[in-house]
Amino acid sequence: MPKVTRWFIKAGIIYFIVGVILALISEFPAINAGPLLLPVYWHMLVIGWLTQIIMGVSIWMFPRKHRDRKKRESTLTWLTFWTLNSGLTLRFLSEPFLPVVQDSFLMNVAILFSSLLQISGIIFYIMEIWPRLQPRKKRKRSRS
Amino acid sequence: MPAQTIWMIRLSLVYLLISVLLGGLIITHKAVDLHPMIWSLLPVHFELAIWGWLVQFVMGTAYWMFPKKLTAKRRGPAAPAWAMVVLFNFGLILLVAGPFISSLPQSSLIGRLCIGLSILLFALLMWSRITTYRK
Repeated sequence: MPKVTRWFIKAGIIYFIVGVILALISEFPAINAGPLLLPVYWHMLVIGWLTQIIMGVSIWMFPRKHRDRKKRESTLTWLTFWTLNSGLTLRFLSEPFLPVVQDSFLMNVAILFSSLLQISGIIFYIMEIWPRLQPRKKRKRSRS
Repeated sequence: MPAQTIWMIRLSLVYLLISVLLGGLIITHKAVDLHPMIWSLLPVHFELAIWGWLVQFVMGTAYWMFPKKLTAKRRGPAAPAWAMVVLFNFGLILLVAGPFISSLPQSSLIGRLCIGLSILLFALLMWSRITTYRK
């Protein structure tokens, strides 16, 4: 299993655990944080956990276009990991406080920046995986 | 990798990108008021993320990777597999675009019906491949 896959899966497991804990916390009426935490734990589960597991496993299992290349982890896969995870972390640290801190320039910049980082992560992942999606015959021909 | 898988995974990547772009727009709108209509994109954002990206990616990968039959058509007949791809994506497009097109009042229902049929075809194609080569 390549190193980047291990990082994706371990980060995914962390988001999974934190997401489930947040879902549990939001059930306590005394805390009254349900609506604030709802988008956070949904994104932790869908992007942080499920999408990162898919990304990590597909980077590992999907046939590389150039198998002769020794390097199993391209720059794109690490760019995907770091942009997506920094974007998600920034989002989870800022989004729940949006209704509390109204019209804060710093908060708006953090939200915009987190959004751009997440979009970049997805684009890097698509750039990595898209060329790997080809029929076996075509892949064999391109290698020979 | 079979052509049906290539199409399903490529389309799932396109839906993922659209969903994340819409998500970026929605979260920016939460911070800075852009346009009141942006909230109406929320169902499109999550339908594309769940059905278009996650479900379709998993279906495409399973169709490719599950144990193959030891007969000539190793993944079963091609026509139902193509129907699975077309029905799923036609249904999803109807589901997300329908509410914005007033001439299509039943679009959500038809969309979900198409996705349901596609999943039924997936189950029929995969059932005999959920097996082991060891006897």
